[in-house]
Amino acid sequence: MDKELIQQIRDKARNLLEEGTVEGVIGYERASDGVTSRPLFVYNPSDTERLIYDETCAHNLVKYLLDKKGKKMAVVVKPCDSRAINLLLNEGQIERDNVFIIGVGCPGMVETNWNHKSETLQAKCRTCQLSKPVVYDFLAGGEIERQAEEETYSDITEEEAKSVATRRGFWLEQFGHCIRCYACRQVCPGCYCPVCFAERLDPLWLGIRIAPEENDMWQTIRSFHLAGRCIGCNECERVCPVGIPLSLLNRKLEKDVKELFAFQAGLDPEEKPPFATFKKEEVMEFEK
Amino acid sequence: MKSEYQPKVIGFLCNWCSYAGADMAGTSRMRYPQNIRIIRVPCSGRVDPLFVVKCFQRGADGVLVSGCHPGDCHYTEGNYHTRRRFALLREFLDYLGIAKERMRVEWVSASEGQKFADLLSDFTAELAGLGPRSKILDG
Repeated sequence: MDKELIQQIRDKARNLLEEGTVEGVIGYERASDGVTSRPLFVYNPSDTERLIYDETCAHNLVKYLLDKKGKKMAVVVKPCDSRAINLLLNEGQIERDNVFIIGVGCPGMVETNWNHKSETLQAKCRTCQLSKPVVYDFLAGGEIERQAEEETYSDITEEEAKSVATRRGFWLEQFGHCIRCYACRQVCPGCYCPVCFAERLDPLWLGIRIAPEENDMWQTIRSFHLAGRCIGCNECERVCPVGIPLSLLNRKLEKDVKELFAFQAGLDPEEKPPFATFKKEEVMEFEK
Repeated sequence: MKSEYQPKVIGFLCNWCSYAGADMAGTSRMRYPQNIRIIRVPCSGRVDPLFVVKCFQRGADGVLVSGCHPGDCHYTEGNYHTRRRFALLREFLDYLGIAKERMRVEWVSASEGQKFADLLSDFTAELAGLGPRSKILDG
């Protein structure tokens, strides 16, 4: 744990609360297992001493801003999570003036389990190129040096090299595990529709039955709704109780959107997302 | 009677060009395979990827989304959005194990009855070649 960095977060949070700049601060605290961390909502300056930050703080706290619309909140944001802020600004879900962003550098988050943290970096962190958040009001701890591998999408190209039938088999097996708890949706900063298609009754797009074909429909549409919007925080995969490799879906779309439309979500709050715009002169594969 | 595999094709045709194009094929008495079930939509931009995924889920062998040529959209730009959306969806479905040949996006104008008929013959033949889609559930 970086003591100085944590003190900076605490001091900033205390100042913001005492000055009344924000109503609350969303950050991390030590979980009750003493090893991992959990989200913390601070409304009282004296509680700022509970705030921490270390390599177990994987949660994307930006999701909570959607529950605090209209309120002035401060939020502790890692580089990957900061892209979610840009996404929500771009889509008009939050107001910049209502959010105070306490940015933190990130050396990469590790895999954790209850009462246990490993030395292994999460897969998303190995190729993360961001040394600081893309948007912030205060940068705690300053910019940090980091050594990231080049993003080659090797996991995706490996899948793509397999035959269609093999892939079908693979995904049916994976979706067969899905219990449709919708944790992937609940944790996702991009999933905020007041009524999700999964809960619409007329037309009934998705049956309530937990069966492979329904699960398949759920996961296909869930990931496609995030095409060009997924910011790669990979929270969906982290919270999946049955371990479906959802990053393989999200990263495939990310890769294709990059190739087809030269777009990456969450880097620029002003740039129009790929499905909100078009180029008249572009030619797609099926037109050739 | 010989029971030969007949692929099931769902076609989403836009009201202004492709549906009229299909109509043209009919009134000109052109022959084309009867495998298609046509759903008329106001614009190809109306076709939500959900529709296509649902078709495949319910056992369609192929899906055709057809609209006005780029630049000719009745609503000016609906088909430009269609083009982007389905370019990505085709890749994605292929990745999930539904071959991209099973999904076609074609521009057919109101006067292209022959193109529509040829397109369907070609599509149906291609789907027949691919064979029945392995059901989502076994059996």
